[in-house]
Amino acid sequence: MFEAPANPPVPLSVTGLHKRYGATTVLQDLQLRVEPGAVHGLVGLNGSGKTTTLECILGMRPFDGGEIRVLGHAPDALYRSEGAIVSIFDSPSLHPHLTVRQVLEHAALLCQHPVRSPAEVEALLGIVKYSGYRIRELSLGNRRRASIAQALLGSPGFVILDEPFNGLDAGGVDDVLDLIARLNREEGTAFLLSSHQLPYLERVCSHLSVLHKGQIVLSGAVTELFNAGDTRLRVRCDDVVRALTLVQDLPGVQVEDTREPGLLTLRIGQSNPALVNQTLVSKGILVSELAPERPSLTSLFHAITSADPLQAPAERGAA
Amino acid sequence: MSAFIATLRAELYVARRSTSAWLLVLLPAFAVVLRATIVKLAESGQAARDALLGGGDDMAVASNAWGQFVDGFATGLTLLSLSLVAWAAWSFASDRDTGALRHVLIRRSSRMHLVLAKLCTVWLLALCALLLLAAGTSATCALLWEFGPVVEDGYELIGSEEIREEVWLGLRLALIPLPAALAFGVLVSVLAQSATQAVTAALGISLALDVFKGVLGEAAHYLYARYQPSLIDQSYLQDVGRLVRGYSDVMIDPQVLALNEWVPLPQLLLFVMLALLAVRRKPL
Repeated sequence: MFEAPANPPVPLSVTGLHKRYGATTVLQDLQLRVEPGAVHGLVGLNGSGKTTTLECILGMRPFDGGEIRVLGHAPDALYRSEGAIVSIFDSPSLHPHLTVRQVLEHAALLCQHPVRSPAEVEALLGIVKYSGYRIRELSLGNRRRASIAQALLGSPGFVILDEPFNGLDAGGVDDVLDLIARLNREEGTAFLLSSHQLPYLERVCSHLSVLHKGQIVLSGAVTELFNAGDTRLRVRCDDVVRALTLVQDLPGVQVEDTREPGLLTLRIGQSNPALVNQTLVSKGILVSELAPERPSLTSLFHAITSADPLQAPAERGAA
Repeated sequence: MSAFIATLRAELYVARRSTSAWLLVLLPAFAVVLRATIVKLAESGQAARDALLGGGDDMAVASNAWGQFVDGFATGLTLLSLSLVAWAAWSFASDRDTGALRHVLIRRSSRMHLVLAKLCTVWLLALCALLLLAAGTSATCALLWEFGPVVEDGYELIGSEEIREEVWLGLRLALIPLPAALAFGVLVSVLAQSATQAVTAALGISLALDVFKGVLGEAAHYLYARYQPSLIDQSYLQDVGRLVRGYSDVMIDPQVLALNEWVPLPQLLLFVMLALLAVRRKPL
């Protein structure tokens, strides 16, 4: 298990980032912070500015205002991190005429402190049998695997992935998610993942930020964000009429739906579902099902992006 | 410095595995060998015909290897400089198109180091191509003709030592503008929006310079392209080709030779500086 250093450097700190394309403002006072050891998801609609944000962070695109520090380095000096920062892009970004092994040997030449050999990372990503294939001959999924493989030759402290699941089959997605979780757990590697695949992010991310119309409108630890949302509770019992009168008196509990026979759907906010159960059982009502439904990342995301959060971004409660 | 060396090694690793880079190195030498073989075949045919018809007065001059060596080298250099300019223009822009240079920039290299590494790679390729061109041209000419003084009617028009000096001067003067031409290719590569645009622009501008240097008059003396062997050749190497064949009507302007020595250098520096400035703010 990885032991964190006493004062680990902040993987990413973005303050007041502004970016314009001509007269169009793409990013406006963007604030983003990735904590040490976090797996941070960056989600947003198409055109929300995710790729521009990553390009600014990685020093690929000049920006008009604000400050970015990646492991303490300015975006145009990431190479000074000696391989502590790596990125995997939306397109695999590899030399198409090189074979997988040659791509890895090329990456090894650029890696100051390699901890794995090309053969080891090929095995890690399951691409040994494609070792002699040219990049242009590979499927998108295997190109992405090769791209991830070259990032793992060293021991990066911070990995930035743009749409890492594009082109991967279900098994490939599981492999990548497992790899992210393992590197995070065993080596303390922090990640910033930009993706549209919300269910995948939900599986692996410890923190989330929602980018909408060029601003971060929601950011924080996943547990906090979901707890802050309104939990629904499905209660199946033998006497719905009595149950209804009992739960209405409980603090923070609202009845949402009673149309299905024998089933109550409640909105309990931050209340404990056990309190509802205890109340009903103590009055002799038999509870056969008690199912809390916390908001998913997808529902949270849709709730935010379907409104116009720029009207009142502060109310969205950036954590 | 170590970051630059590592970047250069990585660039050379990719270039060594690139078919286009190998073609670039081999093609000029191959073209010159092919040209010399065709010339020799044509000469042999002509000699056989002249022997049958009782001619053959100019054989002493025609069979001298030096003239063919200079012509071959000029052809090879023309091909080499055009193809290398295209490759230089393609190199940076292509890596930006594929996104491959992003990995280099994040892991090891500053933008400045990357551009300099690209430039050094193309210069090293040029050096390899030149060495092969020199070896191929020398060997082919030695095999097919004889190196020696130009003698006509028993009178030595120009001696071997003098020929060697002129050829060496001609080659040196022809090579001086090459680094500037390649730096121009890299500059175009940095400025262009895509690899296709870069190659088209670099070749188009190089050919346009070649065409228009004739109409620029005296002003062309301040252009590096004036001194390169090219399709419309005004380089000193072309004069050398006539000198080593014994022609005495070659007019050599020492002032132009002096300009040939120093004009390409500031232009080389200008192209490199512009490329380094342009890459600083370039979205990659």
